Order: sequence, then C-alpha cells, then structure tokens
Amino acid sequence: MKKLILILIAIVSVNTFAQSKYQQGMEKAFELWKADKPWEAANLFERIAQAENENWLPPFYVAQINVFSSFNEQDKEKMVAQMDKARNFLNDAKARTENNAEVVVLEAQLLTAWVVYDGQQYGMKYSPKIAELYQKAFEIDPENPRVVLGKAQWDIGSAKFFNQPTDVYCDDIRKAIELFGKEEPAGEFYPTGGGEYAEQVLQENCEE
Amino acid sequence: MDIWDVKQSIKEMNLPKNTLAVLIILTLFTCCFSHFGFAQTTISGIVTEKNGTPIEGANIYLDGTYDGITSDVDGKFNFQTSETGVQTLIASYLSFETFMMAADVSQMNNLTIALREDVNSLDTVVISAGTLEASDNSKVSVLKPLDVVTTASALGDFVGALQTLPGTTTVAEDGRLFVRGGDAGETQIFIDGIRVFTPYTPTTNNIPTRGRYSPFLFDGITFSTGGYSAEYGQALSSVLLLNTIDEPDQDKTEIALMTVGGGVGNTQKWEKSSLSFNTSYINLAPYLAIYPDRNDWEKPFEALAGETVFRNQFESGILKVYAAFDSSNFELTQEDINFAEGLKFKLKNYNFYTNASYTGYLNQSWRIETGGSYTRARNDVGIMTDDIDNTENSAHFKLKFRKRFSNRVKLSFGAEQFLTDFVEEFSNQFVSERYGFNNGISAAFSELDVVFSRKFAIKVGARGEHSQLFDQFTFSPRTSLAYKTGKNSQLSVAYGDFYQQPMNDILKFSNTLEAQKTQHYILNYQYVAENRILRAEAYRKDYSSLVTYDDEFPFFDSNYANNGEGYAQGFDLFWRDNKTIKNVDYWVSYSFLDTERLYRNYPVEATPSFANKHNLSAVAKWWIEDWKSQIGFSHTFSSGRSYTNPNLPGFLQERTKSFNSLSVNWAYLISQQKILYVSINNVLGTKNINGYQYASMPDANGNFDRRALRPAADQFFFVGFFWTISEDRSDNQLDNL
Repeated sequence: MKKLILILIAIVSVNTFAQSKYQQGMEKAFELWKADKPWEAANLFERIAQAENENWLPPFYVAQINVFSSFNEQDKEKMVAQMDKARNFLNDAKARTENNAEVVVLEAQLLTAWVVYDGQQYGMKYSPKIAELYQKAFEIDPENPRVVLGKAQWDIGSAKFFNQPTDVYCDDIRKAIELFGKEEPAGEFYPTGGGEYAEQVLQENCEE
Repeated sequence: MDIWDVKQSIKEMNLPKNTLAVLIILTLFTCCFSHFGFAQTTISGIVTEKNGTPIEGANIYLDGTYDGITSDVDGKFNFQTSETGVQTLIASYLSFETFMMAADVSQMNNLTIALREDVNSLDTVVISAGTLEASDNSKVSVLKPLDVVTTASALGDFVGALQTLPGTTTVAEDGRLFVRGGDAGETQIFIDGIRVFTPYTPTTNNIPTRGRYSPFLFDGITFSTGGYSAEYGQALSSVLLLNTIDEPDQDKTEIALMTVGGGVGNTQKWEKSSLSFNTSYINLAPYLAIYPDRNDWEKPFEALAGETVFRNQFESGILKVYAAFDSSNFELTQEDINFAEGLKFKLKNYNFYTNASYTGYLNQSWRIETGGSYTRARNDVGIMTDDIDNTENSAHFKLKFRKRFSNRVKLSFGAEQFLTDFVEEFSNQFVSERYGFNNGISAAFSELDVVFSRKFAIKVGARGEHSQLFDQFTFSPRTSLAYKTGKNSQLSVAYGDFYQQPMNDILKFSNTLEAQKTQHYILNYQYVAENRILRAEAYRKDYSSLVTYDDEFPFFDSNYANNGEGYAQGFDLFWRDNKTIKNVDYWVSYSFLDTERLYRNYPVEATPSFANKHNLSAVAKWWIEDWKSQIGFSHTFSSGRSYTNPNLPGFLQERTKSFNSLSVNWAYLISQQKILYVSINNVLGTKNINGYQYASMPDANGNFDRRALRPAADQFFFVGFFWTISEDRSDNQLDNL
C-alpha cells in the first residue's frame, strides 16, 4: 500500500511540479508550429503573451510568425495586416526586454518584409535603417549566429547590387554556421536554430 | 525532479502518516481537478463576420488566463476553463475589431460572435475629395516623398514636383503654386501643422522662385486642392501640409557639389533624440559666365542657407524644433519696353523661420498637438531709383486636442492665433513714406470624424475666425463624405466655405476691408488597385468679396473695396501606374479649368493671366538595373494664357501660344555612397512665351509696341555629385536629389 501511495505521489508530482502552465503552453505552441499550423501557434503565443505580461518570448514569437508568413503572402492587403500585427507584438516584446539582439534582428526582418512588399517605395526608405539594426544587433551580441547570418545576408545583397566582392560576407556566413553548431539556447524557449537555413544561404550565394 | 527524488524527499521529510495522507489527497485532488474536468466549464460558440460567414483562425480566450482556442474551419470553438464567476471573453482576428464580452463563465456557451470589420484596415473608405497625398503609409498616395527629388522637372523643389499634379496651373515665370484658378497667395503652407508665412524665396519679374525648404526634411506631404479640413484657414484655394521626419536613420555626413554651389549636412542620433543640420551655398555666377541668359546680371543670384532640426522622443510624444535661416541677394538689369536702358532691380532678402511642435498622447483616447512658429523676413528692394524696404514679423500659435471615442468616432477641436506686424519704407528723391499694419487673427475649429463602416465615412467641421484689423467674424462650415462603390473604387464629395484676408501688398495700404471668400463643391472618384491609381475630380468654386482697386498697382491712395467676385470650375484627371511596364513608374495629370473673375483693377470679369484651360503633365521614371541608373522624363504642356492687347478693344482678350517643356534627368549610383546626377530642363529648347509687355505709350502710328516675355534662359543644365559618409556605408543621398 505504502509503495502504491509513493508511486501515486510520484506521478502526481511529476505532473504538477515539472511543468508550469507557461511551459505547457509554450511547448504546445511550438508543436503546433512544427505541425505546420503557424496561425494556431500564433494564437496560442498571443494568449500566453497576455497571461504572462512580463515575458518577452510569447509576443516575440507572435511577431516572428507574422513576419515570416508575410514574406510568402500573396494577398497584399493581408500582408500589410500581418506586418502591422507583427509591429504591435514586436513593440510589446521590445517593452519587455532591453538590448536584445533577437528582437533587433526581428525588427530588421520586419522592415525587410516592407521592402519585399513594395521595393520601389520602401527600399530606399528602410535600407539604411535595416543596415543600422543589424549593426546594432551585432554590437549587442557578435556571437549570436542569427545576428551574424542576418547581417551577412543583408550585406551580401547590397554588395551584389553594386557588383562588389562578396567574399568577406561569405566568410561571415561560414562563421554563422560554425556558431550554429555550438549554440546553446540562452534560456528556456529562447530562439535557437537556423543552421540549415544558413547552409542554404551559403550555397545560394557563395558556391558557384 | 524525477521519481526517485520525490521518494527521497518524502522519506527525508519523515512526516506523520496522516499528514502524508492529507497531502496525497490534496495533491491528487489538484491533479484530477484539472484533468478530469469536474467543476470545469465549457465555453463554446461560433465566430462569424457581420454577414454570417464563419471565420476560421480567430483567437478566442479568457482575458488574463491560458484558457482559449483557435476557431475551426466552421468558425466554431469549444474549450474548457476552471475559471469561475465573471470573466472577460476575447475574440480577435486580423483586420477585424477585437470583440470583448464580460459575463459569468457559465453563460458563455453556444455564443454567436459577429466580429466587426476593423475600419483602420487598408480597404476602408478614405475621404479623398480634394486631397492628394504624398506619404509612405497611405494607400492613396499619388506622390511618394522620393518623387519630389526624382522628378525631372522639379530640380529638388517640392513645389516643382507638386506642379506635375492635377489641379495646378503652369505659370513658368513664377514658380509658385497656382491651384484651380486661384492666384499663388491663395495657397498656404504648413510644416507639422504650423503655418509658414514666407515659404518662397523672393525673386523678380520673370524669374521663377523656389520653395525655401529642403525636400529631404519631409516624409509626408498632403496637398489639398480644395475642400480641406476646418483645422486650416486663411487659404482660399489650397493647403500644402508638410510633415518633418520623426526619426532620422543614422549618424551621417552628406556632401553635395553642384554646378551652382555646394552643401554640407550632418545628422547625429542618440537614444531618444537627434539633431540634423545642413547648410548650402548657391552662386549662379560661374554658370551664367558659361551660359549667359537674357538678363544683364550685375550681381548674379547668391544664397546662403542653413537649417537645423532637433527631435526628442518622450514616453508618449515627440517634440520637434526646426529653425531655418537664409539670405539671398542679386542685382540685374532686365529688358523693358518702356526703358531703353532696361529696368534695374536689386534685392536682398533675409529670412528666419522657427517652428516648434509637440504631438503626444495624454492617455489612451486623448491626443494633443501643439506648437508655434515665428518668422522674421526682411527685403531690401531697389527698382530703378526707388528703394523699398520691408520687414515682416509673424507668429502662429496652435493648440489642438483629439478625443478618440472609438475606432469609428473621433472628435478634434482647437484654437489658434496668427500675429503679423508688417512695416514698409518707400523712398526716392521725392518722397519718403513709412506704412504697414499690425494684424491678429484668432480662430477656433472643431471637427467630427465618423466611420460608419468600411464603406461609408463622414467628416463634419466648422471654423470661426475673428480678425482684429477689420473687427470681423467669419464662420466656415466644412463637410465631406466618402462612399465605397466597389472593392477598389470610391466616391467622395466635399463642401466648404473658406475665408482669407487680403495679402500684405493690399493690407499695407488699407485696413477698411474684409476677408475674401470662396465656396468649394467637389465630387471625386477614385480607383486604386495594386500600384495603380486613377482619380477623377470635378469641382466648382465661387469667389466673393475679392479685393478691388482703381490704379495700375495697389498704391497709398488707391480706392480699395471688396467688390470683386468670380468662379472657377473644371475637372482633374490623374493616372499613376508602376505595374504595367517593368521598372517604369509613370503618371499623367490633366486639368481642365474654366474661370473668370473680377478683382484687383480688372474693369470686367475676365480669365486672369495665371489661369489657362488645359494643363497636362506626364512624368516617367525608368530604373535600369545594369546601369545602376534612374532615368527620368517629365513633360509639361499648357494651353495659352491671357494677356491684354491695347491695340484691340477688350481686356485680357488674347491668348499666348501654348507652353511645352520636356525635361530629362539621370541619376547614376557610382557606389552605395556616391551619386552623380545630371538634369536638363526643356531639353528640346522649345521657345516658350509667358506673355507680352506692351509699351505704355503708342508710337507715331498710334500702335502700342510689344515685347515677348521669354524665360531668362530656355534651358537649364544641372550637374551634381552627392557623397554620404556614414558608419555602415549603405546610405546614400538618392533621396536628396
């Protein structure tokens, strides 16, 4: 009997102590995202964001899903709605964390989405701002692979446009891949990964 | 914590058995409470649009909790909560207004939630009658900020770029904005909502002026050719609203070398604030030495200008302080039919303008906009042996509040004060006179915006003004409404009364007048699809109380009255497209104008010499990737303008031949930071005639001799090299060109 009770306690304890609601929610959201249900994931992140009003991660992921989706969105009006939504949640994330390279990179990506939306109109306006943001992210965290990759990718685009050598930026991408290899997440549910994408970028830009 | 740890900890705790049992029961209870759902409440229902169409993907949850779900393909949702009592249920979806409902959770089942469309979203109707926007974030932008500097004929002058828009008349020898049959003084310019009193650099006959302010300070331009908001007064025809940039991109230094001078600018950026300044020096002497024009310059045009902007972001607002100083001078002799040796003219101008504005939120629903400006302008003019020196000191103060009742209802109201002190001294060998005026105008305005749905919106406002000088009170109602006729099209109408005091050149001699008045009626159709815009607008303007006088020029002892009147009617068409042809962005504007007025010293109602029937502008920009170049073309056609031929009966009875000018420009990106820019105005060298000057006395045969008023030079060449030095080496001055 005593044994049974102990086992019961053990099961119960694992259930209640090991995972907070926050952890359950975040894990579920990542599962949905991986299962190619980004909007359900975004909705869940949004619910977590309003329940946990000091944690920057949930609003960061809402913004990230909206930014990434807008890159592939064909409907221009939806694209703008997504970028506006991303801006709102990015602002929330910004208010909840300081000097965070991940947030700065996401802001650069959001502005890049505007350039994709209408290059003629936003290209000239946002290009300097995007370059400035990557520079800022790099100053905050020069060893963050996503910062190194984002910056290198942007620089390569600009250099190609002006027919300038891109070798130095290819080295940066290689460095990013190396950094991805030894990356340890900075905290639970912190952004991580992107190494495969970096390989792809390297192949597209640096290998003939 | 794994199982073994738990066992260990329990052992170590060594609790009495009954306590242990209680603990177990409690823990079990907590566990099962959340897992087996007794005392759980089910929340369920369906989310739809107003018309019943189910919405998939809406986010439904209890505020402040983790409990919620995403609606399924049928718009249905169903989730459990352990919350009890009164809670707030939220349903949100992109482009719809967020729905909120506070109720006891037990009541929250089988709900039907109809979301209202978000009227802030892009496809909401926009009140567009009369308004031409040049901004980044408006779908209805007809002009983008960059266009000011990349339009071939504009030469970096924002007024020049606006002259390619419908509703404007080409008055090549003047350079200012003439809108829908109104003279240049009927357009007012505002920077960040605050009036600019002397927006143009003064010039003399037949030499076009330019806007004083450098175009790259602004990122939003709204040009209204009629029916504008009650917030703006003292303009009979048009207002031009310029908004300065909130936040510059980065620290940078900019250097410009041009055939007509040079400039240096620098921007410093800190965490919350930034400071920019730029200076320029223009001297036409070297240019005129190579390409002499029709004038005989004793001292070619020379100008020194400096501008500075300071911006500071606060928690919930932004403060901007802008200051500009410029000084220009020139001296020349112009051909004149009445003076064999020509007309001597010299001018020195000093202008100082400063403007401070604050915009911020007092709380969620109240917004405040306030600011003031001060201008000091001094002109020293010499015409033959006459000396005319004048000084204007003007100020404007404004305070405006906006209350947001909801996304759909907004009320704004405010008050403002204009002050002008103008003194002029006239002297020659016979007389010396000093005169001027001191004028104050107080105004209050209020406006209500209601968006009934994405399809229908109205704006109702009114403005009251009191003139100190005339002790006159005027009241101007304004209203406009817009209705969406299809996915991409809308109709909009506007009506308004507008008052404006006579200009300084009249007020300095007479203060027994009253404000001049116009009434605008506007009907606008707009079609906007991806990167294409079509606008068609018909209008009618009635003028009354225009100032009249009985001399050749307004003079000390002329008889002034408000006996004038007139009308202007016509339609404007605008088409812009940057989709059809790859890498080509072009627009075409056409304006038809029919106008007559009795004003100034007109003996009868007539079409003034600054108005003509047909105006057509075509602008194209072609980006050539391989050349890293943008090539621009701009063509202006305008039909003949009126003039009086004293050899025939009648007044303003003849028309000049039509005006044509084709301009081209080429911007070449040498590298990210260096740009070479070349432009030629009137590349075909068309011999344009702006009007005729007739001799004041007939010759021996009783004929009045005449002289054609030609531009000082038929063509103008410009070459500039622009270099930006910034940390990240990616910025350039393309947007300064």
